[in-house]
Amino acid sequence: MKLIKLASISKKLCMGALGAFLLVFLPFHMGMNLCILRDDGGEWYRNVCHFMGTNYIVKVFEVILLACVVFHIVMGIILAIENKMSRPVGYAVANKSKTHSGSKYMIWTGGIILVFLIIHFVDFYFAKMGLVEGKYVVKVEKVERAFQEKAMKMQQGQLKEADLKELQAQYMAIQSMSREKVSKNEKYFINLNKEEVQVVCGKDFEDYEPDFYNMAKEKFHSPLYVLIYLLTFIILAVHLFHGVSSVFQTYGLNVQMYQKAINGLAWFYAVVIPMGFAIVPLIVYFTK
Amino acid sequence: MDFTLKIWRQENAQAKGHFETYKLTGISPDCSFLEMLDILNETLINDNIAHPVVFDNDCREGICGMCGLYINGRPHGPDDGVTTCQLHMRRFKDGDTITIEPWRAKAFPIIKDLVVDRSAFDKIIQEGGYISATTGGVPDANAIPIPKQDADEAMDAASCIGCGACVAACKNASAMLFVSAKVSQFALLPQGKPEAKRRVVKMIKKMDELGFGGCTNTYACEAECPKSIKKTNIARMNREFICSKCTSNEQ
Repeated sequence: MKLIKLASISKKLCMGALGAFLLVFLPFHMGMNLCILRDDGGEWYRNVCHFMGTNYIVKVFEVILLACVVFHIVMGIILAIENKMSRPVGYAVANKSKTHSGSKYMIWTGGIILVFLIIHFVDFYFAKMGLVEGKYVVKVEKVERAFQEKAMKMQQGQLKEADLKELQAQYMAIQSMSREKVSKNEKYFINLNKEEVQVVCGKDFEDYEPDFYNMAKEKFHSPLYVLIYLLTFIILAVHLFHGVSSVFQTYGLNVQMYQKAINGLAWFYAVVIPMGFAIVPLIVYFTK
Repeated sequence: MDFTLKIWRQENAQAKGHFETYKLTGISPDCSFLEMLDILNETLINDNIAHPVVFDNDCREGICGMCGLYINGRPHGPDDGVTTCQLHMRRFKDGDTITIEPWRAKAFPIIKDLVVDRSAFDKIIQEGGYISATTGGVPDANAIPIPKQDADEAMDAASCIGCGACVAACKNASAMLFVSAKVSQFALLPQGKPEAKRRVVKMIKKMDELGFGGCTNTYACEAECPKSIKKTNIARMNREFICSKCTSNEQ
């Protein structure tokens, strides 16, 4: 009995294609994370986040990417179950054959990465969607413009008493904004919680973004989080090493001529990418 | 040499199997693994202990593909590139406990003790493991030019003896190495071209139907193959499959 009525190779081709698409995304995310390390109070990182959060092409790819992740996981689970069914009675002595590193544990390494993904999503993506409380960043310029517009309305006598009070509170808040809440280059109010955003910008102001820079830094100051993060990337390295070299075999490109290039790419993904991710929390943690 | 043998005993396909432990003493290091089992069976019969242990074997020269035992976690035992019959007791240490199991796969049901039904392989061959040949006069030898490299690779693929060690070793009980060897030996040669597109698709379809698992590129099959069939054959079969699916003119 098969759960999906496709040739076993076709299923494997789907799995490989989905995985390969996810591979393309990793260097981008890594590059983005490395921006945190630049000592500019998060300017580069904030710009990248702003671009990733607002660009329409990126938004389209975000949806495709999410779909790929879901299909890759669902497909992986189905394949693992199907493959398990082809040996109903197992061996008493576990198999000792020489196998490709990591290949036997793809479903388990994948599972651990999924757990991390869930944590990661709750921490960052949910904050972006407004499902959980995060920290926020607002452009000083925008706050001032909003304030001026309201002040103008007040002069024209269009505002009620209550609004006036709010405006006064807003003015006080902006003036008394502590130095830690202003970015180095004084362009942004940073690390605000939702309440502070409302006080500073007024209740109906919506033009603020999640402050991923400070959220990430805060996370990376916790030793437990750094440890989970590092362990996940070791697991990811194992998952990627098999995945990258494997996808070429699946697509029939495993020819002696390209073997060195394929191995090189597998090592790049297994070492450089996880290292690029892992170095960020390490540096943030040890230089706090 | 003395050994403790833990052997899987199962009356028939339906019966519930179990491990039985036997002690064997005074085995020569030069004894082959199957000869050692012969000695065991002789004592079992002579001393009226139990029915003899049933195991498959035929040529005992490593070329027929009949023997096949899962010994201490490895198909065909601890040696690389040999069948069970070519394995000798000197590869074990005196006093070792040796666990012997049959091939385990849904597609290879147990017949008795260590013997499994491998006719699933025959069914896959029936789907496409053949070529069309014209009748009439005998053509000249070497009338069709074939590059040496291709001829060699086809010959390497054709050395598969269909023992099933690849299935036994695979964590998914996949028959990909076997099928890929059979597809490759024809795919590499001009004689195999007429059926090439249909062959690969039909053989894979049959393989899936029979309950073999899918390939996860673990390569335990390559490590355990007594004929050292290479995993590049699997890549070739995948290639053939993709080409066939992309260029087929069937509905």
